[in-house]
This record gives sequence, C-alpha cells and structure tokens, in this order.
Amino acid sequence: MRQSWLVGVARHSILIAVAVMFLAPFGFVLLTSFMTSEQALTSDWWPSSWHPENFVTIFTQVPMLRYLGNTLMYSVLATLFMLLSSVPAAYALAKLRWRGSNATFVVIICMMMLPPQVVTVPLYLMWADVGLTGTLWPLILPMLAGDAFSIFLLRQFLLTIPADYLDAARIDGCGEWQVLLRVVLPMARPGIAATAIFQFFFTWNDYYGPLLYTSESQEYWTLSLALSQFKHLHHVEWNLVMAATVLVMAPVIIVFFFAQKAFVQGVTLTGVKG
Amino acid sequence: MAATIAGVTRPAVPSRGVPHRRRADRRRWRHRLTVLSFLAPALIGISVFLIYPLLSAIYFSFTRFDLLTAPVWVGLRNYEHLFGSDQTAWKAAANTLWLVAFLVPARMLAALATAMLLTTVKRGGSVFRIIFYLPALAPPVAATIAFVFLFNPATGPVNELLAVFGVDGPLWFDSPEWAKPSLVLLGTWAVGDLMVIFLAGLLDVPKPLYEAASIDGASSWQKFRFITLPSISPVLMFAGITGVIQTLQFFTQAAVAASVASGKATTGGGISSTFGYPDQALLTYPMHLYVSGFRFYDMGYANALAVMLFLVAFAVTLVLLRRFRVFVTGGERG
Amino acid sequence: MKTRSLLAAAAALLITTACTPGGSTDTAVAPAGQDVSGTVEFWHFFTGREAKSIEDAVAAFKATHPKIDVKITSGQDDTKMLQAISAGNGPDVGLSYSTDIVGKFCSSAAWRDLKPYIERDKVDLGQFPDTVRSYTEYRGKRCAMPFLADVYGLYFNKKLLADAGYTAPPKSMAELSDMAKKLTKRAPDGTIEVAGFVPLLNFYENVPSHMAPVWNAQWLTGEEKSAIGADAQWQEMLRWHKDLVDWFGHDNLVKFTSGLGDEWSADNAFHQSKVAIAVDGEYRVAFLREQAPTIDFGTAPLPVPDGQQDRYGAGYVTGNIAGISANAKNPEAAWELVRYLTTNTDSIVTLSNAIKNVPSTRDALKSDKLETDPHFKTFLDIFAHPKTATTPPNAAGPKYVELTQEFVDAYLGGKHPDLKKGLTDLDTRIDQALELGR
Repeated sequence: MRQSWLVGVARHSILIAVAVMFLAPFGFVLLTSFMTSEQALTSDWWPSSWHPENFVTIFTQVPMLRYLGNTLMYSVLATLFMLLSSVPAAYALAKLRWRGSNATFVVIICMMMLPPQVVTVPLYLMWADVGLTGTLWPLILPMLAGDAFSIFLLRQFLLTIPADYLDAARIDGCGEWQVLLRVVLPMARPGIAATAIFQFFFTWNDYYGPLLYTSESQEYWTLSLALSQFKHLHHVEWNLVMAATVLVMAPVIIVFFFAQKAFVQGVTLTGVKG
Repeated sequence: MAATIAGVTRPAVPSRGVPHRRRADRRRWRHRLTVLSFLAPALIGISVFLIYPLLSAIYFSFTRFDLLTAPVWVGLRNYEHLFGSDQTAWKAAANTLWLVAFLVPARMLAALATAMLLTTVKRGGSVFRIIFYLPALAPPVAATIAFVFLFNPATGPVNELLAVFGVDGPLWFDSPEWAKPSLVLLGTWAVGDLMVIFLAGLLDVPKPLYEAASIDGASSWQKFRFITLPSISPVLMFAGITGVIQTLQFFTQAAVAASVASGKATTGGGISSTFGYPDQALLTYPMHLYVSGFRFYDMGYANALAVMLFLVAFAVTLVLLRRFRVFVTGGERG
Repeated sequence: MKTRSLLAAAAALLITTACTPGGSTDTAVAPAGQDVSGTVEFWHFFTGREAKSIEDAVAAFKATHPKIDVKITSGQDDTKMLQAISAGNGPDVGLSYSTDIVGKFCSSAAWRDLKPYIERDKVDLGQFPDTVRSYTEYRGKRCAMPFLADVYGLYFNKKLLADAGYTAPPKSMAELSDMAKKLTKRAPDGTIEVAGFVPLLNFYENVPSHMAPVWNAQWLTGEEKSAIGADAQWQEMLRWHKDLVDWFGHDNLVKFTSGLGDEWSADNAFHQSKVAIAVDGEYRVAFLREQAPTIDFGTAPLPVPDGQQDRYGAGYVTGNIAGISANAKNPEAAWELVRYLTTNTDSIVTLSNAIKNVPSTRDALKSDKLETDPHFKTFLDIFAHPKTATTPPNAAGPKYVELTQEFVDAYLGGKHPDLKKGLTDLDTRIDQALELGR
C-alpha cells in the first residue's frame, strides 16, 4: 500500500517536471505578450512594465472577430468534410476484402509525399481557372475528396477493432454501411476523435494555405494570417504577435479540453469490448 | 483474440473462417460496388490531388520553367545539375536524412513514453494531457521562437540552469554541430500530436488481456512487449511512415529557428537570407527546393528536386510497410 | 483500365491549365492627354502602421485623380505576387521590398515595359540617381520604378570611441582594423565583452553585398558570368575580414554574437554598447532614438581600402520597387498610380518622413519638407555619391549573392584555406547555377 503511494508520488513528480519543461516556452510567450514592443525578444524575461492593453490593440489593428469567424468556418467545414469522406474510405481499406486494397492504400500514402512547395503551383493554377482563388474554398472543398493523412490514421485505428464484432453484425443482416454506422463508429470513437482533433488543429494553425489562397482578399483571412500583421518593413512588434498567439491558442485549448473526454469514454467502451 | 487485435489485414490472403469465399459473379460485383461507394471520394481525391500534381511535377522537371513564361523542354538538364553540380542540394539532402534518422525515432520514443506515463495517471489526467499537447497546438512560428530563446547560449535559462550544475552549455542553434540536435529537441518538445495518437491506441488495448497476462505471471516488460506493442503496432506504423514523410518535408521550424538564431527573427519562412544558418547546418532539402523555385525562378529544377524527394519517400515507405508486417507477425506468435 | 483513364484525364488537365502561365501582354499605349479612369488593384507588402501611411499616400492620389479608384491589398509578399501573376490574376500594380525580382520580372515581361509610358508622358529619369536607375531596369528594359530606398553606412558609439582615445570614425580599412582591436574588451578568461567591430559577414547588416561596393569588388561580368574569382578586390576584402576574424578567434566571435540580442529588438548589440562600430541602414537612426535614447552615436560612410580614398563616401543602396503586371486589367490607370507614387515629390517626402526611408528622387532629397538631421544627412550623401553601388539585377534573382554568402561564411569559419582556388570554384558554381535558368 505504502509502496504504491510512493510510486504514485514519483510518477507525479516526473510528470510535473516534464510538464514544467513543456510549459516554459509558453511562459515566454505569455510574458512577452505583456511587454512593450521595445522590450520584446530582449534578454529581459520579466516585463519591465505590464501592458495588458496589447490585447486591446490587437483588436483595433486587426479585425480579429471576423478572422475568428473565417477560421471557424474553415476548421469546422474542413473537419466535417474530412470525416464524411475519409471514414468510409478508411473502413474500406481496413475492414473490407477486395483486390487492389493494398495498392490503393499505398497510393493514398503517396498523396502525402509530394512537397507542398511544388504541389501548390499546379493546384493554384487549377483553382485560379475555376475562379476560386481569393476564397477559402480551395482549402475546404478538397476535404470532400478525402484527406490522405486522416484516411491513413483512421485505417490504423479501425484495424484494432476485432473482426468478430463486424461479422456478428453481418450475420444479423447488416449491410456494410450499417456495420460502419452501428458497430464501427461507436467502437472507434477515440480514433475518430483524435483524427478530427488533428484536422481541426491543423486547419486552425494553417498559415501557408490561407496565405496562398486568400491573401488578396482580406474578408477571407484567418487568425493564423493575423499573426503576421504586426510586421513592419524593418521590425516586428513581437509583443503583439505573442498576444495574438495567446488569443489564437485559447479557443483550441478549450476545444481540446472537451474533445479529450472522447478518449476517456473510449476506455470504458474498450473495457466492454474484451 | 490476439490475432485479430494485432491484425493488420492482408486482404490478398484469404484468412480462415471467412464464410463468403466463393460467390456468384453478381454478388462479387455487388461487393465491388459497395467498396467503390466507400472509396469514391478518395478516388477523386487521388486523381486530382495526387496524379495531376505528380504528372505535372514530372513534366516540369524536364523543363526550364520560371512560373512567368511558358515552360521549355530541356530534357535531363535539371537532373544533370542536381547530380552533377549542385553541392548545396546534397548538403541539404544530408541534413534532411540526418533529421529523418534521428528526429523520427526520437519523436516516437518520446511520444510513447509520455503517452504511457499519461495512461497511469489517476488524477489530473486531462490537465497533463493538455500540457503535453500544448506545444503541438501552438502556431509553429511563435512556438519555435519561444523555444529557440530558451536555448539562447548567453541569455537563455537552459544554459543558466546547466551552469548551476557546472556544465558549460553548448551554443545550441548557433553551432553547426549542435543545431540539428537542437532541432530534434524542438521536435521532441512538440510531440503532442503523436502522443495523442499513441494515447488513443493505448487506451484501445482491451484491459482483460493485461489481466489474463498478470494471472499467467507475466512481467511488465513481457506485457509491454507481447501485449502493448503488437496492439498499437498499426499506430506505430502510422507514426513511422508519416514521420518519415513529414520530416522529409521539414521546413517551417528549421527556417524560423535559423532566422532567430542568426539574430534576425522574422515572422515567416519566406525570407531566405538566413536559411541554413549556421554554416548550412539547418538548410533542409525542402528549403533548398523553395529557394530554387520561388527565389531563383528555377521552378523546373525545383520540380526535379521534388520528384527525387517523392522517390525517396516512396522507397522508405515501402520498406517500412514490409518491416512492420514482419514485426506484427512476430507479435502474433507471441 | 481505371487508372489509365484517370491518367488521361489528369494529363488533359495538365495541358489545359498548368502550361498557360502569364497572360496576354497588351502593350498598346493610349495617346497622350487621354482621360484615364477605372479601378486599379494595388498590392503592397507593408502591414500595420506602415500600411496606413501607404493608404494615406493613395488617398492623396485619389484626391488628384478622382476618376481612378484604387483597391489596396496589404501584406503581399513576392512569392505570393509571383504565384498570382503566374496564374493570370496578379494585381495591376505591385510593390516589392526587394530589387531581387527586377531581373526576372523585366526579362520575362511579367511586369510591363514602362518605356512607352515614360516617353509619352516625358517623365525625366534623370531625377533618379544612376544606381537607383540601374536596379530598376534589366538589360535596358525598364519595368520598375523606384519607391524609396535603403542606404547603408557606418554607426559608431561616441562614448566607447572616446574611452579609447578616438574622436573620429575610421576612414580606411586599416584604421577600422586597428580601432576594432583597441575598442575590444575581453574578460579575464578571454571571452569577448565588447567588440570594436564584428568582422563576420553574416552579422546583422554586415554582409558581403553591403561591403562589396566599398572595396569596389565586382559581382558579375558584362556577359553575366561570375566576376568574383578574377577580381583581386574580393580576395583583398575577404582577407581583411579573415585577418580580423582570426585576431578575435572564430569560435570566440560566434559565441559572442550568439549571445547578442536580435537585430530588430531593443537588444540590438549597438543599442547595448556591446559593439562599438557597426554597419547598418539609415533606419537604425530612428530605432536608436526610440529604443536607446541614451546612446551617443555618430554616423559616417563606410571606410575604404588604402589606395581607394576617392571612393570614400560611397556605399550600398537598395530599395523598394513598383511595377505593372503584364496582365493588368487597367494599365493606363495603373501607370498613373505608379507615376504618382514614384515621382510626385510631396508624396515621396510624406512617405519618407513616415516610414523613415531615403526618398528616391533628387527633388524629394532637396525638399524643405523632408525631415532630416545630421545623421540622416550622412545617408542622403552616401545615396547621392556617384560611386555608390548595388547588387546587379539578374534573371536568377539573388542566386549569385546567396552562393557567395555560403562560401564566405565557410571561408571565415576556416574552410577553403586556398582563397584564390576557393573563389575560382565559386565562379564555377555560380556560372553553373546561372546557366540552369537560361
């Protein structure tokens, strides 16, 4: 009894030590966000005077609320579209038997292999032809056609679901779509949640995509672009960049706080599974 | 049970116990249509977002193309330049391969360690989960700047802390020898994305397996080796393959770290004057590709670089796919 | 067979979209005196406070050209402009922060040749100093107009100089070398505490491109091949730097500079009196006033090598540039905007005062409204000096500069012991790299 208590203490001290290491850079970000522009990025860590008004200045210099709306539209739609297209694809690759599934799987992995710097050129030309540059749609619509990273990740999670459950459902007369909806979706909740969180956060922080496609039309800008709005010809107002960083991160931390509950629920579900 | 949990499906080999082996043609067609209905969006995606860019990359790689005037066919000239005279490309390739060799395993180990640590936490688990995920959540530019400042050789707290223990800290991002290891530390710090995946995988391992093993008197290591590892091997494979592919495309963090370390912090990765500082140690292959295409207007050459990158990524992926299959089979036997 | 049809479809797409960059180049110029109207799309790279200054300048333009409407988009970098023009939807007028794009944008006709407009409207190009004219045209084709300039010179810390018994800045490289040593302070263990001058050529603005003009070191030959290996001045320059680097010890210097503050922060080493003499642009004056008001500093031209005293006063200049896209929808109105922003004295002076850059026309330089002081005057004089130079425009952008930078960093770090051979190899590398784009 006593020993396990000690182990618990040891474990928690390791955790706390690691946590401090992980948090230190955010202390830097947070402290810098309260500094004057002159003090930012100097060797002085502690603000010589506190400037909470930096957080107000951001809103006067940059239409943050509109950018927030755009970012939400981009992140929510992209995540939703990704799930709609990628979950069935991942299911077909993980749980259905058909000729060519291995090859298709490899081809889907291949979609990640071309560096974005060259892919953007033909794709940008294509979206310009369709007349959709200057909007966020070139970033959202492709999600309807599946996202390679997500398909791969979902497939790996679905592999861990024992085939017995699917076979049982099939014997009960379920079609494959019903198997997916009634059996696989509930069982794969942690994996699907993780994949969705990934997609959501990736789009939330995506800088090069919005820069490439929307930088000429400010009404479509996202929060990540706002971070580069405090740059001048010969210097950057890092205090404002960091304050904006804090604001950009706040919503995702809240989202993650609620989304991670899905994992905890996953534990109880897998408990039933065995 | 173990077999199905560990099971990476091998569809080409019909496994025992599957009732529908022989079907009438009609049923087979219906099955194909079902599969197609699941995959239709992805097939469109493959053709528009893989085959089209890939074909155009291959085509442009045989041209002189500056983005502004029509491409001109030059045959193998871009490849001759790459293999014959562009020393910078090889330096950049060596840097990138170094990162693949060290960053990918380091991130996987760190992610597995933190994820396993987290599964044992009874109280405050959600707080720790958030803290460990934070670095991966942060906008990469701000996160990289903060991290590099911590490691500033003269004013950063890391070296100050080392000095307390009597250690003369290295120059970190300012030293050609330490710059890449420092980048590995940066990548390990932002390991939250992998950690979440591993955590989800670990939580998916059925508890009764461990209970049964405990009754059989298995040690912790045995449980880890014969239950945990095989169970999460699909997730490990994912981490390995995407890790290699993403590290081959490593760009933003290296660009920002170089700019901060060189004393000319910038907000984006688009300014190339500090690329590679110090002494080309942080010049990655995609950075060279970006500079070639968008700063030097050699987009044809940049595409040749991209085609080579694609081939390397493809080869490594095939090898990894095979390796992991062997590894998983081993797990099944155990 | 499915994949084959997909391939065919993709190939078809490729032919229809990917191979049609640029756009129609309509070079017809309206006769003089025509009434110009319509909308101009104007992209620039400024953001924040500086973007407001640009908006003010455009508002003044609109007041005098009521029929022209200007749609301004801020924060557009060169890469973005390149991609947009490539896809056929670039802006009418683009403003770039770098002269690097002039060579390619002129030779590829991505930016229009402005000669017909200049001739029609009798714009006097003589109002721009020669160097400024040189970096806004390429092979006789003028596709850009200069929009403010940056000039580089020497900053020195008067107190640190006085402590060491100096009253005047160095005028020759030999002097600079002596002063750098005398002004340097070391801790008992040998680490540098204050450097008289940091001779590394990747430190802040102390880079090969800013130093080459004072040595009269040439970059390219008339045939656009590397001139570096055959030009003895490069060896002189690099040996001077190497000698001083060796006096400090390369590793000592790197350790010292890695602990210095960021160039663009208040911790800039010159602000902190950790460097006594530094190379920097005219904008540093404003930063010093704002961030380090207690520093007593002086400004001067960069010192020159012995035997080149006639070059004293010359320096490096570069600038922002404006041009009109080949596929501009309204080139006539675009030209009115470019002409106004780059030649209207009031507009240039107002912007120069707001952004603290050097105005790029002779009239603006002489204007009473230009806020100037002795420090700023130093840079105005360097700007006007006939021997002041820049990096020559090239169709491959800054390729030759960056390959040289790579070599110089390695050389100062102790690689390439045979400098002459190293520079000859560098020639080969630059020539091969330039050949790739031809």
